[in-house]
Amino acid sequence: MAISLVARAGAIAAISALALTACSTGGTDAPGASGDCAPSDGPVTLTFTSWLPGVEEAVEIWNEENPDIQVEVQTGPNGNGGTYQNFFNQLAAGNAPDLGQIEFDAMPNFRVQDGLENIAACEGILEAEDQFVPWTWSQVTFGEEDAVYAIPQDTGPMAMFYRADLFEAAGIPVPTTWEEYEAAAVQIRAQGGYINNFSQSDINAFAGLVWQAGGEWFSNDADGWTVDLTGAETTQVAEYWQGLIDNDLVAVYPPWTDEWNAAYNSSELWTWVSAVWGANTIASGAPDTAGNWAVAPMPQWEAGASAAGNWGGSTTAVLKGSDHPYEAAQFALWLNTDADALTAMNRTANIYPATIAGAELPVFGEGVEFYGGQKIYEVFAEAGNNVDPNFTWGPTMTQVYNDVADGFSGAVSGSGTLLDALTAGQDATIAALKAASIPVKE
Amino acid sequence: MARDTAVREPAVRASRAVRHRGALAVFLVPFGALFVLFYLVPILYAIYQSLLTVEREGTFGPAVQVFGGLTQYISVFQNEPFWASIGRVLLFGVVQVPIMLGVALVLALLLDSPLVRGSKFFRLAFFAPYAVPSVIAAIMWGFLYSPNLSPFTAVTGAVDFLSAETVLWSIANVVTWVYVGYNMLIIYSALLSIPQEIYEAARLDGANQFRIALSIKIPLVVPALVLTGIFSIIGTLQLLAEPQVFQSFSNAVTSTFTPNLTIYSTASVPNISLAAAMSVVLALATFVLSFTVLKLTQRRTAQ
Repeated sequence: MAISLVARAGAIAAISALALTACSTGGTDAPGASGDCAPSDGPVTLTFTSWLPGVEEAVEIWNEENPDIQVEVQTGPNGNGGTYQNFFNQLAAGNAPDLGQIEFDAMPNFRVQDGLENIAACEGILEAEDQFVPWTWSQVTFGEEDAVYAIPQDTGPMAMFYRADLFEAAGIPVPTTWEEYEAAAVQIRAQGGYINNFSQSDINAFAGLVWQAGGEWFSNDADGWTVDLTGAETTQVAEYWQGLIDNDLVAVYPPWTDEWNAAYNSSELWTWVSAVWGANTIASGAPDTAGNWAVAPMPQWEAGASAAGNWGGSTTAVLKGSDHPYEAAQFALWLNTDADALTAMNRTANIYPATIAGAELPVFGEGVEFYGGQKIYEVFAEAGNNVDPNFTWGPTMTQVYNDVADGFSGAVSGSGTLLDALTAGQDATIAALKAASIPVKE
Repeated sequence: MARDTAVREPAVRASRAVRHRGALAVFLVPFGALFVLFYLVPILYAIYQSLLTVEREGTFGPAVQVFGGLTQYISVFQNEPFWASIGRVLLFGVVQVPIMLGVALVLALLLDSPLVRGSKFFRLAFFAPYAVPSVIAAIMWGFLYSPNLSPFTAVTGAVDFLSAETVLWSIANVVTWVYVGYNMLIIYSALLSIPQEIYEAARLDGANQFRIALSIKIPLVVPALVLTGIFSIIGTLQLLAEPQVFQSFSNAVTSTFTPNLTIYSTASVPNISLAAAMSVVLALATFVLSFTVLKLTQRRTAQ
């Protein structure tokens, strides 16, 4: 009996151990300043992980022109939806892809984890600086000399997508201020619709709204980081949306789900304040509403102002441990500067390039059918000019987004408020920074 | 001749054992190697990881992993969301496991009863959901619960199965649906191994089917119930797939909804050492809980 008990206990121990996960640590070698970046001998194959819809088409152009440098595309969920986690795991295991799509807000996170190759020494990279919109370039260099950690791909200037047909039929003026937006929300609600969906998990979109209001969550100086998730501007934005939630003026569907798409497709939701690439999201998620949408600048806090926020925007980074940094850097530079590649990516994913010349490409002057033929990129170009370029991202954004989203989940389902969530997120972020030995001011 | 065998037998046995050593190795080494490689090594590595902390200079200075003793474990015990998630799955287990095992027991008894026709069909039908991968099951139920996309919008429009108050129980329903057939099968096979003579004796004593079930079958399948109970407790503490899938249906499922989800999101920070420490604590908690249940049920059986 005693023996069988021990045996059974052992079996249980073995089974419970299933809970244990195998993890491994990344290399801790110092990031080389600008070391060598020599071409490889012979043909190479690069792996590239991206979630950009249809990025394969642009890569196909490269593969045809460069038989000796073939790029294989691996697609995955969007960064915070799982790809970043994969990258962190792959980096720790030493088998990351050569190239990866990383959004600007995640760059410091990858830099802190030593996940990025410095490609400044690679041919043509430092010289490419002039081709890019200045703030995008400073996001990939962290303001350091002789350092380039990725090539900017696109930016995410924000505007308001709205159902032109519904607004017109209902005789509601298209809102230009947040005050008007709330008034419109009341009228739309009276008709059975919702003006928008408050996304409890897109904290980067919320950050875009704070960005527009002039707030900033992180700043960094010689003494360390300052975390400010509850500043005056953030509070203003949080209280505004809390009011809309409390009065049932916005829907609270989990975003990026079929339920959410269906709400747009069935005309229940009338607007989406989103980034330029959101044009693709609506077109693919709500095909029945084609032709009925239009784009206007974001509603403003002050009438007559023209401030805009930014949501997303990506880079193509050469991940640590790549055997072919030279070729990878050449591909990354080509992908994000070549006219054909930028045009292809705009056609499949509606992205707006980070290069100055790219924005002048014919495709960005064309009307877009889904948006009633409106030249929507002109609105986003204008918004891009009105985005404050000095917004700093913290080094643990994955954690910030998770923690704030957990609080927002509570807020949209009736426990706590958005501001409570941000207050808790503030404490959690400081704790996470400390846990990672990153200097932080309290 | 007889004497001869008697004398030679031990020698034969010994040589047989020697001869079989090769065969033993053939059978044991593959298991042993895989067990060590994919079981012991990862466990030991996780324990090792959990003892490390990160040090660096400035923000972007090179990170160095140093021995941190029990630092990560202290963080685990101070981590409110982690303990809240353990509390949540314990509540889940206290309600869901007895219901699931109760239903499994009733179904097994029905299948075993001579009064039921088509028991082969029902046995397969009850078991079929277990063949559905839990992720697929969760997606399917997610759509069934969904207020606008469900085929039963009359029901889902009136009751919100995905709200903060209900979603835990909606997930419990999915888990029950998937695993009830599996547990039923274990209990049913225990029922099949009960000797027919006992039933005969019971019938001679005038016991009806209900009485037989109550006084003979259920007491005799208690070991199977203990086994399925312990498996279910372990499964409950390790819930991951269902809540993770439900994140795309309900905005009430947070990134720290269950202990394994908490570990997953901690690892994605990435704070792998803390995630490893949480894993070790969760494994120990599971072990202690399973062992306690085993001890308690055994004491009761002994009495």
